[in-house]
Amino acid sequence: MADAGVAHGHYETLLVERRGPVGWLIFNRPDAANAMDATMLDELERAWTELDADPSVRVIVNTGEGRAFQTGVDVVQLSRQPEAMRAQSRRTRNAELRLTAWHNQVWKPVIAAVNGVCAGGGLHFVADADIVIAAANATFLDPHVSLGQVTAYEAIGLVRKMPVESVMRMALIGRQERISAARAYELGMISQVVDPPEQLRDEAQALAEKIAQNSPAAMAATKRALWGALEMGLTDACKAGAAELVSMWGHSDQTEGPLAFTEKREARWL
Amino acid sequence: MTFSSYEFLKVERHGPVGWLINNRPDQLNAMNNGMRDEFEVAWKELDADPAVRVIVHTGEGRAFQTGVDVTEIATDGQGFERYRESMENFDIRFTAWHNQVWKPVITAVNGICAGGGFHWVADADIVIAASDATFFDPHVSVGQVVSVEAIGLMRKMPVEAVMRMAFVGRYERMSAARAYELGMISEIVDPPERLREVAQELAEKIAKNSPAAMAATKRALVGALELGLTDACKAGAAELVSMWGHPDQTEGPLAFTEKREPNWQELAREPE
Repeated sequence: MADAGVAHGHYETLLVERRGPVGWLIFNRPDAANAMDATMLDELERAWTELDADPSVRVIVNTGEGRAFQTGVDVVQLSRQPEAMRAQSRRTRNAELRLTAWHNQVWKPVIAAVNGVCAGGGLHFVADADIVIAAANATFLDPHVSLGQVTAYEAIGLVRKMPVESVMRMALIGRQERISAARAYELGMISQVVDPPEQLRDEAQALAEKIAQNSPAAMAATKRALWGALEMGLTDACKAGAAELVSMWGHSDQTEGPLAFTEKREARWL
Repeated sequence: MTFSSYEFLKVERHGPVGWLINNRPDQLNAMNNGMRDEFEVAWKELDADPAVRVIVHTGEGRAFQTGVDVTEIATDGQGFERYRESMENFDIRFTAWHNQVWKPVITAVNGICAGGGFHWVADADIVIAASDATFFDPHVSVGQVVSVEAIGLMRKMPVEAVMRMAFVGRYERMSAARAYELGMISEIVDPPERLREVAQELAEKIAKNSPAAMAATKRALVGALELGLTDACKAGAAELVSMWGHPDQTEGPLAFTEKREPNWQELAREPE
């Protein structure tokens, strides 16, 4: 990508940028494999909220600087300065996490572009994205149990979305084994492998720009319907989904879309 | 048994197999008002016919199904309002699942499957496809919400792939090969012209099994999509035990022991 994005809020541990209709949220602690320290944990909530509130942002891409995508909570800070993590520990206990787009109730489409190692708590951002693509050299592992920690949220999200045996194997084998990008693609954990890896951000931007052509209101209602469906049995989920469907009827995009299709022209969304 | 006449569907019977064929090839089998109404009649007719053991659903021409007829929606002055009451009450009758058909249903995807076409992929028991079939969901590209059909698919295959189709809209298509890798379909037919022949063969294999045992199995497995694991197993156990004492349930082991084909009971259509 040639153009530098427009900077808004100030961040120490993240890069938050705009490129056309696409907002970028980039983990930026490359020397710590993008591990989440207390500062990053605070900044994530602010960054998701900022991108969600910006009407010029239609789609959000989440990636990392350096050789890692995201490796979870900063274990070094956790062991040396436990008091710095106290507020976040309370949130974890109360199920009030604000790490991901889903935690922050972002209803714009979110693409995770996994640029390298995704470990442990990094899987939150895979589980909670709508679309996941990865560089050919990306790897996935969950070392929680190798460090005496429990795997919960992120794997629970994944078991709703992909073959369960793979998630269980990753959770129980810990740091002794990694899933390759190729295997993640076979399993349907990701939908695209980018090779060479250097092309990842260009491919993510191109995918996001395709999505940005669709009706923002229809995508938001779709996202609420599909994520809401993970909460319920099939019939109840279909009933709630039907309500989201009908909520668009009367919206100007909902008549503009079929009309533009019939008249063979680009749609003009509200 | 003679069938009703249909304008937008073909309903046929080949041996023990009932065929339901989308028949608006010039409109890529898009569902207009008339086809929507005929679906309910056709599913109920095939379900009520005891000679039909298995149902195959496919399309005429180069498309399988492309969802609601957008041109009719945009031009007839009524638009989506025709669906309001049935959607608000979630009382739609497009698919076998909506019509509570407990016979096995095979969807044979003969070409393009787009948008609302996924209802019949999500709600079939078995899905096979011609090698040149393609899958995409253009709803959000025409200002519509993706909902019921994707919610069904999400229970049955990796979710990320469903979400990608939902948000990319008309700007990308999934191949039959990728659908097979993801477990969305279980067989690719190549050359594509053999699709109906292969669907008939598959259906005839299934038709050799106990109709009553298959109906109880279908209720148990589809019902499991409604519940948490332990509750689903409890409800499934009740379906299992419901067969005990049924003639098929003793005939099967007996025929196996005597090395002969079993004689199954006809499936009684349950009163609504």
